[in-house]
Amino acid sequence: MADFDVIQGNKALAYGVKLARVEVIPTYPITPQTTIIEYLAEFVANGELDAEYIHTDGEHSCMGAAVGAALAGARVFTSTCSQGLAYMHECVAQAVNYRTPLLLGVTNRTLGWYWSLGPDYSDIMPELNLGYLVNFAESNQEVLDMTLQLYKVAEDYRVLLPTMMSLDGFYLSYSQERVWMPDQNLVDKWLPPYKAPYPVDPTINDKFPTASIPSVMHTPMRRIYEEVLQDSKKVIQEVDASFGKTFGRHYGGLIEEYKTEGAEVLLVTMGSMTTAARRAIDKLRSEGEKIGLIKLRFMRPFPDIEMREIAGKVKAIGVVDRMMLHGTRGGGAFQDVKAALYNSNVKVPLQGFVTGMGGEDIPIDDMYSMGKKVLQVAKAKRIEKEVEFIEHKLTEMGKPIEVEWAEPIYPGSDGCAGCGASIIVRHLLKVLGPNTIIINPPSCSGVNYGQAVRVPWVLANFAAAAAYETGVYRALKKKGKADKVYITSFAGDGGTADIGLQSLSGAAERGELIIWLCYDNEAYMNTGIQRSGSTPLFSVTTTTPAGKVIPGKQVRRKNLEMIMAAHRIPYIATASLSYLPDLERKIKKAVEVTKAGKGLAFLHVQQPCATGWYFPESKTVEIGKLAVQTGAWPLMEIDEGNFKLNVKPKELRPIAEYLKPQGRFRHLSEVQLEYLQKDAQIEWNALLELEKRGRFPGY
Amino acid sequence: MSLDKSVIKGFALMDMSTRGGQYVGNWRVLMPEIDEAKCIACGLCATICPEAAIAGKPKVKPKIDMRFCKGCGICANECPQKAIEMKQEAKK
Ligand SMILES: Cc1ncc(C[n+]2csc(CCOP(=O)(O)OP(=O)(O)O)c2C)c(N)n1
Ligand code: SF4
Ligand code: SF4
Ligand code: SF4
Ligand SMILES: [Mg+2]
Repeated sequence: MADFDVIQGNKALAYGVKLARVEVIPTYPITPQTTIIEYLAEFVANGELDAEYIHTDGEHSCMGAAVGAALAGARVFTSTCSQGLAYMHECVAQAVNYRTPLLLGVTNRTLGWYWSLGPDYSDIMPELNLGYLVNFAESNQEVLDMTLQLYKVAEDYRVLLPTMMSLDGFYLSYSQERVWMPDQNLVDKWLPPYKAPYPVDPTINDKFPTASIPSVMHTPMRRIYEEVLQDSKKVIQEVDASFGKTFGRHYGGLIEEYKTEGAEVLLVTMGSMTTAARRAIDKLRSEGEKIGLIKLRFMRPFPDIEMREIAGKVKAIGVVDRMMLHGTRGGGAFQDVKAALYNSNVKVPLQGFVTGMGGEDIPIDDMYSMGKKVLQVAKAKRIEKEVEFIEHKLTEMGKPIEVEWAEPIYPGSDGCAGCGASIIVRHLLKVLGPNTIIINPPSCSGVNYGQAVRVPWVLANFAAAAAYETGVYRALKKKGKADKVYITSFAGDGGTADIGLQSLSGAAERGELIIWLCYDNEAYMNTGIQRSGSTPLFSVTTTTPAGKVIPGKQVRRKNLEMIMAAHRIPYIATASLSYLPDLERKIKKAVEVTKAGKGLAFLHVQQPCATGWYFPESKTVEIGKLAVQTGAWPLMEIDEGNFKLNVKPKELRPIAEYLKPQGRFRHLSEVQLEYLQKDAQIEWNALLELEKRGRFPGY
Repeated sequence: MSLDKSVIKGFALMDMSTRGGQYVGNWRVLMPEIDEAKCIACGLCATICPEAAIAGKPKVKPKIDMRFCKGCGICANECPQKAIEMKQEAKK
């Protein structure tokens, strides 16, 4: 029968998706969600899961693909968190009226605001009220089991609504726990394939879901959707009971009660913090206190009736929130519990707590004192302060060292030893000088060098860096300062070729007088080496593993130079950290062009990354040279339409010299290697041809 | 309207003037050692070091600040004179 494994929450979710035989999986990486889509990529690449895996170019597209696939009748899974969830938001909302019962996994993480990788519910909070069923998991077992349960609930025609599962980043996503694995045959019987009532498929159907109804229907429709959500409570209970019968584990529907028999006081929690709360309750009970615990398992539909029933039996309730509703003085769960009780006969003091924000741990001791506090409230029959913030002192951090250094970048960054991005940013700032503003979409360089340079380094939202840059430039232009400062991006390949492309295209077309520098390490390094639109053919990344069925990335990279040339911008150049004088000349040229008012200048600098390409870090510069000499990374420029190759070996060195030292190409077969050799030669010949012509077509 | 900076509450700032590196020298496994005799003071190692841990320029002999050298070995790999060797560091 069933077997167990000790796995992380993210793996439990991936296993759940595999067991549910999900058919379409659109993905986009973000910490701490990424390992979910890495496990799934592995299952698919190895032929263990027969699903369409879609490497999308950003979360907006990711959710778009999810809704599209669900509309066409597939069982769909996708996942994200934080910035990614916020960027998804528009498409998240659309899944509701299209009645697509997809599952969206949310590995909670703070939504910036101040950025943090740690969890709180600021990311999922804006998504709560759209019409999804929203479940909060406490353990990795619950994550796996609820994956299966949520599909069964959502695909029931009495529901047909999308669902969200929240699993706390790090506390669940990256924590190892024992998880029992249900048997695939049992799952297949219990959860048959999804059958969409009205799939968008003209071969079988002449009715399909619509996004438009007359406005007079909106209010009644809202009422009806609310009824469906309320009715789903019954389905949730049914499915939980049936799951229990089949697999031996059940969770009790919308809330779970813990030691509530005879309780006079309750703590209300959600998610992974509940485990610490259980231990605190145990301790308080052992001290003779009549205290119990309610875990909110579903936030939507909200267990209002359930809460009223229980609240009527106690003298005080404390609600612990990792979610702040700014402007209301309290947390989200607190306000929901309060709202549920207000028009009822139940009159019980409600103490709110806000804590654990930005991923701070909520220890048992804190839960214990919160329990104590609520017991006091019960005794005093009144509340001193409706909401308390449980805060901790900042532990003394290592003081930054003040260094006397002439360099534009302070030594001692967090970057990997031998990181090429550091070499590029150093030389960029060497040329541009101190009056430079760097706009940086989220990336390795932001995390590692944002705090180490002597100029303003502005973190921009991932899809909008060129727009941030535009805004800064236009404001300074308006103030007559545009001549005195240099505005450039320091953007990764993901932030350029994928999620940032639309914003960059807009800035290029408008002729903004800014520099776009893309340092290209040919994958999403910051999130742990996932493929990007700039990852070369056959390369291994964590989302294009060397699988038994699908070995490495199966498509070629985007040609960014050609994309930018289609915008007819005045200056486009590739460069390399192994050819620094050439790089510096090109940076100067970019300055010249923008200062002359000609338009946007685009610099595309290859950055060999020892960590992500799997080669010894001492070879960073050597690999960069080989890339140029083998034709893998030709150095060229398009200067107002004039095409030029800047480094022209008489004969290209064999591409294998470049590929062999890199672990990401270790799996290459002879056939693949030969293909890459031919490809490099064809591209090189095309460039030689172009140079002979001199002018770039279209300019 | 108050434009007095002292009334601002809860506004986290990044200070360009006081930032500084951490001592990352303890990441090092191998330590670069320059052979003065072989070095021709070309300046390349100082230009290329990702950490900016080497002070030096053409015609000035390079000096490595070991507080910041992560031991990546790029300088040794790139030195045209093979004047830098990555060595086992004597344990302190
Ligand atoms: C909207 C949004 N989605 C996802 C992320 C997560 N994220 C941060 S950095 C990064 C990868 C960046 O890759 P790239 O632009 O190539 O820069 P690199 O880290 O490789 O230098 C991702 C996916 C985010 N911050 N915001
Ligand atoms: S992963 Fe690559 S790009 Fe990121 S810091 Fe390390 S070497 Fe640099
Ligand atoms: S690269 Fe070698 S020769 Fe040049 S300055 Fe450095 S140690 Fe001396
Ligand atoms: S080993 Fe690396 S970090 Fe150390 S001095 Fe040489 S190049 Fe710089
Ligand atoms: Mg990258």
